[in-house]
Amino acid sequence: MIEDTSRTKRPAWLLWSLATIVLWGAWGLVSKVASDGVDVYVNQLLYTVGLAPLMAFVGWTVWRRSPREAMPQRRKGVFWAFLTGILGGVGNLAFFQALVKGGEASIVAPVTALFPMVTVLLAVLLLKERVGRTQWAGLGLAFVAIYLLSA
Amino acid sequence: MHIWLLFAMLALIFWGITGVTQKLSTNCISSERSFLWFCWAMVALSLVVLIIERPHWGLGRVVVLSAIAGGALNGLGAWTSFRALESGGKASIVISLISLYPLLTVALAVLLLHERLTWTQSVGAVVAIAAAILLSVETEAKAET
Repeated sequence: MIEDTSRTKRPAWLLWSLATIVLWGAWGLVSKVASDGVDVYVNQLLYTVGLAPLMAFVGWTVWRRSPREAMPQRRKGVFWAFLTGILGGVGNLAFFQALVKGGEASIVAPVTALFPMVTVLLAVLLLKERVGRTQWAGLGLAFVAIYLLSA
Repeated sequence: MHIWLLFAMLALIFWGITGVTQKLSTNCISSERSFLWFCWAMVALSLVVLIIERPHWGLGRVVVLSAIAGGALNGLGAWTSFRALESGGKASIVISLISLYPLLTVALAVLLLHERLTWTQSVGAVVAIAAAILLSVETEAKAET
């Protein structure tokens, strides 16, 4: 499937992935700029303002498609999504505070990007997933990276 | 221990937990609906902050625009990552590729903010990205089976 189209144009997933790198990469930079002039709470408030247009677009998309999801599943899914937002927001506050407290964007971004190490550990503990050798290596490297970055 | 590192680790922990809760959510509802409720939680949290903390205002235009752009960039990034997965990208490759985003932050911070990394920190940044890729690849490969 991809072989046929890749000769003439880049696959869409690659472009979306590169767009993600650019958007998230730039986020670290603008967060540092913002943290030089606002406290973490105002930063979070303005962050939400910036999120609002996309929220309206996605809300419209969800309303238009109106996927039929079973109610018990939907309630459970909404609960976990809402909790994800709260935890993500508190994580944002900590991220902004790290920048306000003198952490440089070039250090804080790589450190916080290691968050999958916590996900992996929790997936093992709570979801009873198994950890492969590659993940153990990733976990080990993550600790080494944090040590080196904080030196 | 640097105080900024403590907060960075807190962010890492909270964002790490969201990796699990997000998975639990998208097991039940679509990624779009999940993202929408994620945003509603952000709004709720911001309202709580507004009521409890009484933030300080009186800000410069660049700072305000940067903070607003932060929300837009991060949200759009989440949306484009969903699109990458939905448009046929293999999860293990897409997630690994996306894990490279701190490289751009480092490059931009060095070029535009004139931040300087020591040799040790530069090695640390490369090791961090390698670690993030290793963690992502295995998780997604397992999820696909």
